[in-house]
Amino acid sequence: MDVGELQQTLSKLHQEAKADLAATKTLDELRSVRSKYLGKTGSVGSLMGTIKDYPPKQRGEVGKTLNSANKAIGELVNEHTERIGSAEVAADAATSTAFDPTLPGERSRLGSVHPVTAVQWEVEAVFERLGFTIEAGPEMETDYYNFEALNIPPMHPARDLQDTFWLKNGMLLRTQTSPVQIRAMEKFGAPLRCIVPGRCFRYETIDASHENTFHQVEGLMIDRNVSIANLIAVMKLLLNEVLQREFEIRLRPGYFPFVEPGFELDIACLICNGKGCATCKRTGWLELLPCGMVHPNVLQAGGIDPNEYGGFAFGLGLTRLAMMKFGIRDIRVVNSGDLRNLVHSDRWAGPVILDKD
Amino acid sequence: MLISVNWLRDYVEIPDSLDVRALAERLTITTAEVEGVEHIKTGASGLIAARVVSIDPVEGKPSLKKVELDLGGKSARVVSAAPVLRVDELVVFAPPGASTLESGKIESTTVADLPSEGMILPGSAIGIPASDKDAIFCPPSMKPGESIDAKMLDDWVIEIDNKSITHRPDLWGHYGIAREVAAILGKPLKPYPVVDLEKLSDKKQSEVPITIDDANRCPRYSALKMTGVRAQAAPLWMQTRLGHVGLRPIDCLVDLTNYIMADLGQPMHAFDGSKIECIEVGLASDGNTFTTLDGIERKLSSEALMIQSNRKSVALAGIMGGLESEVAGETQTILLESANFEASGIRKTCAALGLRTDASARFEKSLDPNNTVLSIQRFVHLASAEFPELQMASRLSDAYPNTLADITVEVDPKLVTRTMGHPVNEKQMTDILTAIGFGVESKGGKLSVKVPSYRATKDISIPADILEEIARNVGYDNIVPRLPEVQVRHFTANPQHITERNALQAFCMGLGYSEVHLYIWYDEEWLKRLGFKPVAGPVLINPSAAGQAQLRCSLMPGLLQASDRNRFHADAFKLCEVGTVFREGPDSRNQSRHLGLISAKRGKGGDDDLFAGLKGDIETWAWQTLGGDLQYEHASKNAAAPWTHEHKTANIVAKGTTIGTVSVCPLALRRNIDEHLSAWSIAWAEVDLDLLHDFKVESKSLRRVPEHPEVEMDFSLLIDAGSPYATVNENLARFDDPLLRRVTYVGAYEGKSVPTGKRSLTYRVLFGSPERTLGEEDVSAVKASFEKHIGSCGYELRR
Repeated sequence: MDVGELQQTLSKLHQEAKADLAATKTLDELRSVRSKYLGKTGSVGSLMGTIKDYPPKQRGEVGKTLNSANKAIGELVNEHTERIGSAEVAADAATSTAFDPTLPGERSRLGSVHPVTAVQWEVEAVFERLGFTIEAGPEMETDYYNFEALNIPPMHPARDLQDTFWLKNGMLLRTQTSPVQIRAMEKFGAPLRCIVPGRCFRYETIDASHENTFHQVEGLMIDRNVSIANLIAVMKLLLNEVLQREFEIRLRPGYFPFVEPGFELDIACLICNGKGCATCKRTGWLELLPCGMVHPNVLQAGGIDPNEYGGFAFGLGLTRLAMMKFGIRDIRVVNSGDLRNLVHSDRWAGPVILDKD
Repeated sequence: MLISVNWLRDYVEIPDSLDVRALAERLTITTAEVEGVEHIKTGASGLIAARVVSIDPVEGKPSLKKVELDLGGKSARVVSAAPVLRVDELVVFAPPGASTLESGKIESTTVADLPSEGMILPGSAIGIPASDKDAIFCPPSMKPGESIDAKMLDDWVIEIDNKSITHRPDLWGHYGIAREVAAILGKPLKPYPVVDLEKLSDKKQSEVPITIDDANRCPRYSALKMTGVRAQAAPLWMQTRLGHVGLRPIDCLVDLTNYIMADLGQPMHAFDGSKIECIEVGLASDGNTFTTLDGIERKLSSEALMIQSNRKSVALAGIMGGLESEVAGETQTILLESANFEASGIRKTCAALGLRTDASARFEKSLDPNNTVLSIQRFVHLASAEFPELQMASRLSDAYPNTLADITVEVDPKLVTRTMGHPVNEKQMTDILTAIGFGVESKGGKLSVKVPSYRATKDISIPADILEEIARNVGYDNIVPRLPEVQVRHFTANPQHITERNALQAFCMGLGYSEVHLYIWYDEEWLKRLGFKPVAGPVLINPSAAGQAQLRCSLMPGLLQASDRNRFHADAFKLCEVGTVFREGPDSRNQSRHLGLISAKRGKGGDDDLFAGLKGDIETWAWQTLGGDLQYEHASKNAAAPWTHEHKTANIVAKGTTIGTVSVCPLALRRNIDEHLSAWSIAWAEVDLDLLHDFKVESKSLRRVPEHPEVEMDFSLLIDAGSPYATVNENLARFDDPLLRRVTYVGAYEGKSVPTGKRSLTYRVLFGSPERTLGEEDVSAVKASFEKHIGSCGYELRR
């Protein structure tokens, strides 16, 4: 092919490429048209390899001719890339008009902890931030840890206040988390700061507000110079953090053999804000937290010298707190295993549109 | 316990301006919890005493009586519904024009066609609900027509929670409460009104012989004989007060002992003096019976303490008198008992007899032995006013073999201040303690505090007790909260706590399980449905319900029950419980903490998918908690519980220790529970979390991205269906070639393209070299040699 024929061929190919490109609708089509002409084996591209067949004198011109043809088609490709690109953007924009960005997302089912566990973890977090360790103890206990070491000898009237599940093997189901006070003292000695969340059992008739199986969290702080003022401050901080609001508390005398002095800590009723309602039996106060300064006999039982160390202890009803926090009205649901009562199913079911509760 | 404010006013000045509710609030904060405050308002006016002249029946109306009354100079005819009326007795009467809130204004009217000019008032109309419809009788000292002071009928009643005063014997009577109120209000407590001891100590009088066999059980017994008493009504003020505090007025003698019990907290008993010559206090003979004054014959154990006279039982000491020696209508002489009994003996006897009385409830609190004599002095003081002919028939007899020791507590005021975290000076401390009856002496910087006998029986013995008295009277609300200053200390973490929190976080805050808490005892009915007979384990003596005595040794029965409950409301759910299981044995292993998991889905044939999914969840948790892979071992079929599948069961093995089991519920079990469950698939696992405490989480290095690209290839092996996965792995791992970097398991397949008796296991293999990029020839060579190795193991490649 002489140079003239080459030019003719190229201009024909240019026309063809122009038509082909104009017919393209997608970038894929465009890419195949591009390689049809400009690729290594394409109709223009393959001609590039023929330069060496021309006499050396013509090779410069042939090269220039081919290059400019190549470049011209390349420019056409660019133009059409632009055309198709903006068409696709426009099309994309057009389809997006039906999209509702305000629809809810698709949720993952992560699972759920029991309401009592949720509250327990909050309490644990508060005390971990205060440098308390978290301890655990057995649910099947001995009389010694549950009563005797806690200054409740046999025939003590306080045993009546906590009706006990007794076992034929001579042990009992712990009526409180307090036995772990002794266990923790034996384990760590003083100074000591720990909390003990756990399950407790009392032999009583079950109804909407009484359960024979419930959770408590025990707290114990032993150090030099621990005061009632310290106890009040820590209790106030605990309740404010867990219930996420400020409210009034009051301390009044309460009798528990393992503390002296002993207190009942009441909080202003969350339902009526202290005005008096059915929940607080018109007193404006809810009894929430028995506590006190650890009795010297208990320190001694735990192997700690009461002349050197003192401290405070408390027992918070976790089940009760969970009921308050999650609005559980009937305590029986807590051990029912019925997920309808225990899980915020909206969490994965989807947003609530209407709720008549 | 109910407290009448009118009654308190005998002992302490309570300003009229003081709101009783505010006083109650102060009592709650300083002394004992007030459960309620009630205002008794009778609205009574114009009431008079009237003498019953005659009583006639009303024809056709057996519940009504036609009564003629003497109103002092005039008479009245009324029709009355009072169940008991006696001629000549005085009753409280509302003539026309009188009124009460309950009855309204009384007018002359007609009842059952008969004229009725007024009303014989029922107890309820004047605030004695215990007497309800009964007429109120007036003492003989009143005259017909005498008007009744309405002021004493209106009162405030404060209800104190008994549980808050179990440790305070002094608060079981009005005088003790008055002492606290006086301290709260800063007013003096008036002396307790009694007759002089001398009056009762006439040497010319004989003594009542008292023998006490067991001085521990009966530290003190005081008695006095009196004549000149008779059956009559107590004064109206006393009846009213008794009524206000929930005690039913009965008769002057009984009311007097009840009044003193509610006044001082000391129970007393009046025997018919003609039937008792001497007092012997001793233990009962085992198996003897005794008829108490409620008419019930009671079988005694040798632990019961009895009051006897000439070896004949006359009372269950501290609990209830006997029927035979009861004061009756004709009684003119009484023997008054005022004793002190040891608390735990009374408790034991009451528990054994199933009998508790107002008296025993008080003795159980360890009463002040000094009150035995004081209450007799009080009795004579009150009785003299009611019985003009009252005379002593003995001198005060007092056996006090077991004297209460004086208690003096040494208190360091600095320690008090430090423990309160609130400044209180010595004078304040002294004032507070003195106001509630303590004796205080300052000695060398310390306070020597003498405990009054009414607080010394068990209530107060150590400095912390004195601190409480000071602190509560300062007012806990006056103490400014302050966070403690501490010594930092490191505590080793509790492995149980860490393990459990990790498990719950993994399963319930990521893997989709919902945590439940279930009871720790088995329910026999449910076990029957499961067809499960547990091995012997700890058993409750007093279960909450029949058939719920044995403690669980597995979490699965409970979780299956919860599953059966939840299947009605969901098509699929996953449950998780972390709880205690129990077994008989040495202390260290008689209970452990288990993790129980359930994955349930409606639909038949889902077993294998659920089983694989559950294992995947466990592996994900194990990776987080233990930092590595688990192994499974084919579990033996022996001694399996009914929820264990005969074939589809594996032991979960972590670092060589079997920590649990994973399985699916067999169809037979699901059918046993409920036919509907046959269309469900349920996979379960139970893990002993205690076994994980010693496992350390190993931090593994992250895999480095290779510098030279690696080639990934999947190989599917056809193996005998019975050939275990672990063996295949071991065989594959024997292939040793420098270019083989890694082999991982992809999945198993049994299906159409796999011949019967075989299954296909797919493995993903990475070939590569840390030094260079492999060429095609390297790859095909190593691939060929790997395939040859597979062949040599006896496995066929699935193409």
